[in-house]
Amino acid sequence: MFRYLMLAGLALFLPGLFALGYAVLEGPSAWMTDSRTFWGTPIALFVFWIGLAHAGTLLSAIFLALGIKLDRRTALIAELSTLVSLVFAGIFPLMHLGVVENFYMVAPFLDARGNFANVRSPLVWDFCCIVVYALLSLLFFTTHLKARVVPALDRYCKPMAWLLFPLVLWVHTVVSLDFATTFVPEWRGAFFPVYFIVGAILSGLALVNLLICAEGYRVRLMERLQLITSWILCAIWIWDLLFKGYFCTSAFIFAVLLPQFRMVAVIRESRAGRIFFSLSILLGLFLERFYLVSPLAGVPGEPGFGLVDLGLLAFSLGGFMMLFYAARSLLNESMEGAGTYFGEVDGSDMANVEESERSREKTHGLTLSYIQPWSSEEYKTLRLPLACGFSVALLFVLWVCAQLPFVGSPYENVEVILVNVLPLSYPVIAFVAALVLACKAVWVDKAVELGRNSYVALAVALVALAVLAGMFYAGGAASRPDAVIAEAPQYGSEIVDSAHVQFVWNARCAQCHGVDGRFNDKFIREYYPVPQKLDVARIDSLGLDSLVNVVLDGRVNMNPYRGRLTESEARALVVYMRSLAEAP
Amino acid sequence: MDRREFIKSCSLVAVMGLLFGCRKSELLGDIASQFSVPELKRFEDEVKLAMSRAKKSLDLVRVSAPGPLKIPGASPVNRFGMAIDLDLCDGCGKCILACNLENNVPLVPAEDATRGRFMHWVEMRGNAPLMCAHCGDAPCEKVCPTGAANHTPDGISAMMYKRCTGSRFCGANCPVHARKFNFNDAQSLGLARQFNKEVPLRDKGVMEKCSLCLHRLQNDRLAFKTRNPLSEWRGRGVKTACAEACPKNAIVFGNWLDPESPLARLAKTRILYAPREVAALDPSVVFVRGRR
Repeated sequence: MFRYLMLAGLALFLPGLFALGYAVLEGPSAWMTDSRTFWGTPIALFVFWIGLAHAGTLLSAIFLALGIKLDRRTALIAELSTLVSLVFAGIFPLMHLGVVENFYMVAPFLDARGNFANVRSPLVWDFCCIVVYALLSLLFFTTHLKARVVPALDRYCKPMAWLLFPLVLWVHTVVSLDFATTFVPEWRGAFFPVYFIVGAILSGLALVNLLICAEGYRVRLMERLQLITSWILCAIWIWDLLFKGYFCTSAFIFAVLLPQFRMVAVIRESRAGRIFFSLSILLGLFLERFYLVSPLAGVPGEPGFGLVDLGLLAFSLGGFMMLFYAARSLLNESMEGAGTYFGEVDGSDMANVEESERSREKTHGLTLSYIQPWSSEEYKTLRLPLACGFSVALLFVLWVCAQLPFVGSPYENVEVILVNVLPLSYPVIAFVAALVLACKAVWVDKAVELGRNSYVALAVALVALAVLAGMFYAGGAASRPDAVIAEAPQYGSEIVDSAHVQFVWNARCAQCHGVDGRFNDKFIREYYPVPQKLDVARIDSLGLDSLVNVVLDGRVNMNPYRGRLTESEARALVVYMRSLAEAP
Repeated sequence: MDRREFIKSCSLVAVMGLLFGCRKSELLGDIASQFSVPELKRFEDEVKLAMSRAKKSLDLVRVSAPGPLKIPGASPVNRFGMAIDLDLCDGCGKCILACNLENNVPLVPAEDATRGRFMHWVEMRGNAPLMCAHCGDAPCEKVCPTGAANHTPDGISAMMYKRCTGSRFCGANCPVHARKFNFNDAQSLGLARQFNKEVPLRDKGVMEKCSLCLHRLQNDRLAFKTRNPLSEWRGRGVKTACAEACPKNAIVFGNWLDPESPLARLAKTRILYAPREVAALDPSVVFVRGRR
């Protein structure tokens, strides 16, 4: 069964991959983009997959944190589906960019390389939140998976679940802010975060229900939850309708109306019926995201859904099936078995299971009693990591606030207020806390023995990270090699008179270096690091020839002027610069 | 062949497919770039086509005259802007062609033209030219992830093409849709022509929009600063291409903060309007109609 699903996935994935390659080569004109939002299918697919990526954390982490019992197999399936969905949720925002190779400019490195990502933009928050969410989900899944072999790890699951609980809500809130902070009339509304979270939960539940249908069992708890979530979504849609007079009928039919047939016992009890509910919800929510991202889709005169759009859809669907079932069969041994609570196999009676559970509790005298949060086991484990996380986040915020607005700092003109940095605060807290927790588990509590291979992998990863950081810091050529520099008027004369040098200096160099050679602070805004101070000693130590080369060929942030200045002009400019530096 | 082998070969094929799809087709690009540059006639025809497809409605509300910008680092003496006199404008569209020639705005392929996806920085709406309003509180700049869309100290909402990563967030957030996205590689398709050497041709995948003829201002600033390095530059005497081309002088360019500027003088006697969508965003480019 799984093999067939995997092969079906492959069959969808390969043509999809072709479509993806074509779309990357061709750019955004390849797929459907309407004239109002410019985004189209990839962003609809991104919102869809990031919603599905909430299944695992919601079902596994939040249930675990809240003490709702879910069997291990269901939890692991949900977590695995999160990881695989995140892969596709990550691909689409990258491939939808107009200039794909510039994607790193979105990462907030602050001033490294003279790049300053705009921390006010929800896209930057998005990038950070999703990266942190992916890392923590991977860590949570690994811990959960390993806990079977290393029981000592079990007590770290619940603290990690508490870290992930707010993060999952945070990520989807930030994704909704991509839309809610804009001026597009269809996207306005303060309820968007709630709306997105509910939509994500519903689609995640539908996905997990579908996946466990394929496994051949059912979890009634999640089916009921799916029904209830569809009611909440229905309420939000009605609110939206009254608010904007806009309604996506097909999404309403597929995601809200059809699932109500779960109340009919005959349909509910058949496996085909359950598969049908889940598929209908997934389809409905996909349509809803599609119309949300492209409000003008289907309007006469606007482009329709094309082959490339279908290909991208097939790429993600097929890729998900292929990757999920490949990982599923690889991890088969650690997934099967374990105690079944609600995950009873098709047909068995739920009430009996609950009854036996209750009677077992009575006989063993186990009753749930309320534990003060501050004295709970998880809190004690999380105390130190959380303190570290909070202090790092506080330092980050303080650093940003202290660095930016002060007069004299190179960033005094950057418009950032505290509110802009806050969306990054919880991801920072969660990331640092998880890191500290992992280190504590490995080196302090010695809960898990790292093998030699793990140390080698860790070292390789660290070295690779350091090399990447170094490469990023050192930077490449100052201009793209294929950049076409338009023909500029050539100044032909070899003898350069001083008035001309002064004119060229004022015309070409003074924007940054200043008319008097002492920098034009007003013009160098946040995008350029302040150029080197060129005092006489420094100019002499660098030498005339090397400075001429810098002028002609450029350096890190200095533009190359070959072709726009003759060599004699460059030489005269350097001499002129030295005379400026000599002037009192 | 066992299953593992099969999957391995399939994934290899997949990766090769992806790599093949990603490579740059330099051969094609070379051939295409040898095509002759488009004739001026094609630009004129495209402007006519765009005008025939223009939206008819323009919803205007009254605004007050723009004051100094509130962003940090803003100049207290310069804020450039324009006013379009609706009493004079007859919607001839000469400003669009002048702008295209000044700023090397490329043509679009026929398919895009049928969708109404033109690159024009100035477009007709309600029989009057509409361009970027250079809002003082610009929503596009707030959402740009890389800071490619940013304000100059002189009140121009500028674009840094080399920093743009093409996320199109600014385009989605512009209430009047003044931002245009380079869907096509106009240079290799033979659709771009560099009429004006001072303005670079834009690469595929970046956003562009009205720059208030930034290069003219910069040239004037440099010439002024070279002649009198110590005095304050107010941008007097500069005109944008559209203002220069207007046969009725309906487009007035100037400095809102300079009392001697024609713009500030005009604003004293006329009533200012702005499109309803941007009226609350402190626009620098406004419409005037009627007398006070």
